[in-house]
Amino acid sequence: MPIEIAFAGTLFPGLLLLFVLVCVALWALDTLAGRRGWYRNVWHPALFRTAIFICLFGGFGLLLF
Amino acid sequence: MSATPTSTSARLAEPWHAGMRGFLKGELDTWLFVLRTTVAFFLTGWLAMRLQLPQPGTAMMTTVIVMHRQSGMVLAKAFYRVLGTFAGAAGALLIVALFPQQREPFLLLMALWIAGCTAGATLHRNFKSYAFVLAGYTAAIIALPVISTHPVQIFDSAAARISEVLLGLLVTAVISDTLFPVRLRDTLRAAVNNQYENFLGFMRGALLGEVPRERMEQAHLRVVRDAVALEDLRSSVIFEDGEARARSAHLQRFNQRFMAASTTFQSLHHLINRLLRQPDPAAGLALQDLYQPLGAALQSSEQSPAQLADQIHAVRRSLATRSVRLRDALSAAAHIEDFDVGAQLLRRFVKELESYVHARRQLTLQIAPTEDDARAHFTRGNDYLGAAVAFTRTAITMLLLGALWAASGWAMAVNVMLLATIFSGLFATMPNAARITGKVAWGYLLGVIAAYVCDYMVLTRMEGFTLLVAGLLPFFAVGPYMVSRPRLSVFGLGYTMGLVNILAITSVHAFDPVRFFNEGTSQMIAMGAAVLSFALMPPLVGTAWLRRRQMAGLRAQVGLAAQAPLHGLEHRFESINSDLLHQIVTHTAAGSEESREQLAWALAVNETGRALIHLRQDVAREPGSTQLHLCVDSVVQALADFFAVPDAKAWQRADAALTEAIELARMQAVAGGVAARVLLHLRLVRLAMVDDSSVMATYIAPTKQILETTRRAH
Repeated sequence: MPIEIAFAGTLFPGLLLLFVLVCVALWALDTLAGRRGWYRNVWHPALFRTAIFICLFGGFGLLLF
Repeated sequence: MSATPTSTSARLAEPWHAGMRGFLKGELDTWLFVLRTTVAFFLTGWLAMRLQLPQPGTAMMTTVIVMHRQSGMVLAKAFYRVLGTFAGAAGALLIVALFPQQREPFLLLMALWIAGCTAGATLHRNFKSYAFVLAGYTAAIIALPVISTHPVQIFDSAAARISEVLLGLLVTAVISDTLFPVRLRDTLRAAVNNQYENFLGFMRGALLGEVPRERMEQAHLRVVRDAVALEDLRSSVIFEDGEARARSAHLQRFNQRFMAASTTFQSLHHLINRLLRQPDPAAGLALQDLYQPLGAALQSSEQSPAQLADQIHAVRRSLATRSVRLRDALSAAAHIEDFDVGAQLLRRFVKELESYVHARRQLTLQIAPTEDDARAHFTRGNDYLGAAVAFTRTAITMLLLGALWAASGWAMAVNVMLLATIFSGLFATMPNAARITGKVAWGYLLGVIAAYVCDYMVLTRMEGFTLLVAGLLPFFAVGPYMVSRPRLSVFGLGYTMGLVNILAITSVHAFDPVRFFNEGTSQMIAMGAAVLSFALMPPLVGTAWLRRRQMAGLRAQVGLAAQAPLHGLEHRFESINSDLLHQIVTHTAAGSEESREQLAWALAVNETGRALIHLRQDVAREPGSTQLHLCVDSVVQALADFFAVPDAKAWQRADAALTEAIELARMQAVAGGVAARVLLHLRLVRLAMVDDSSVMATYIAPTKQILETTRRAH
């Protein structure tokens, strides 16, 4: 995956695209977890959700560099 | 002897303690809110400076605008703010690309864009409306500062604005969701519980004895409030909590069944009262006897929804045999017909009540069931005239300010235009917009003064980010504290916005008193312009004229019930009614004559509209004879006409059509088939129409005629 993406003559950082993708993935995961009731086993669901996001974003971000 | 004073003091000490605890709890909540806001505010500022964004002040302002006690609200507002910001940026790019050099057409187009967005905002509720407002003024924020000097920079301006806003939103969302969050989910849970308990409690009382009409009307008002409140909560809580999102469709269904059951209950109750008032109340008494087991099932209060659903199911199964027995005891044909109308309504009610209790039970399950009915969308009732007024006002304000800018050449006029745009957008959807904007303006003035003290007496002695925080904190923290107090919240919002906006914190802070005074003056003029525009062209929300218009809209709903496509119509009809009535009663003094009349009409509309829908459903499912069909059509049309413009003549026409259709249906009903069911619906509508204790009383002509018509009804 390129570090910068050209779109309509302007350069966008690849991280931005990744950010959006991870946001979508998190939304899907969150919905699934909500449907299955997984959050009942977690002390602080919101913090957990944020942590998952940071793990995903950081992990995939490593692919870029 | 010593024991007595101790025990007295202990008795006295208890409420004191309890009060103290409540007070401390409230204060703790408030201060945690202040903490969250402050942390988000300074963290955003720091990050924006680290990332070298051109205006960290904008990002910090964003955190102020979305601050809210409950995290679900923050997330929902942030989500719609993102949408609004992107739409606004796209609009700005488009407008500047069309007229980069000509200021006049640019200003015209900009004014139209902002006015269009403001009008769109009045057609939506809650944060959706906010997204429209934002799309309007974001375009102004992006385009106005660059258009006069270097339009080429528009893209940079848009990119900067978007990054600043998104940064502010991201930080606020994460902080308010993770740092001692106040969950909207708990509010929702309490709301669901309250709605359920209130409704069951009310029915327990109503099934035992007669309830005066006034209390029934009040109960209907409460149902409407509860239904709208639940829908509002639901639309925000889905951003906070995955579990609530998984149950979103469920909550909608729960709410739908709630409205359906309560409307049928109202119809049933009024029908039985009408029958009891007749000279020979045999049918009414038989019906009272018929619903007795249901009352008994509801009486044992402490039972889970599952047990209650089982009991109601048992009642429903025994209903048929009981009704045959009671029916046989009646002698007169008219009584049997009345009884059948009531029994049919009661069957429907018990069925709806059972599915309501069932939906409540499903909400308590550990895991959300995945059974998927068609989604029950809550449809809102809108008024396009209100939107048109909002459009005109905003467009005129913008054009006047644009003309002022073009004519005076005052560099700060851009500022005036910007801020006036923001405020006339933000408060366009509120009643008493002029008064609220005035309050915000006073708060804003205080904020500007505080900013002056902070800037030139404190910050001049400070160096570095930590000391900036230390110097700004005492001035800033007052803002969120005021916002969390209901009486001061608007003032506090103005204060915080004024403080943050005029400080315009940047990495290299410039101390420039001349700029400060220029900006301060222009901002106060902008606030004045916004107040003035609201005072001269007040929003229609809450005016008596709009209320009358909305009442007419509510009555016209019978026309919708009469003509709209049948699919999903029942719920659409009910949710629009609730939304409209809710808008109307919010601005009427509770308990006034006007409010009573509104409620009475709302009940009549609900009752007649629903009966019409059921009638149409039956006819659509199993067509009767052509003659009957024509009769039913003319009844539906006459009723829609009467409700559209109620007067005595229209009432008589509707009544005549009803009588004729009833005669015909009665003749054909002997052969069974759909005619029998049509007859029951028609009778229900007719009994409601001739009810002289309802809102119809004004239209029922001389007393002699009533007596005659009631006799003819049998």
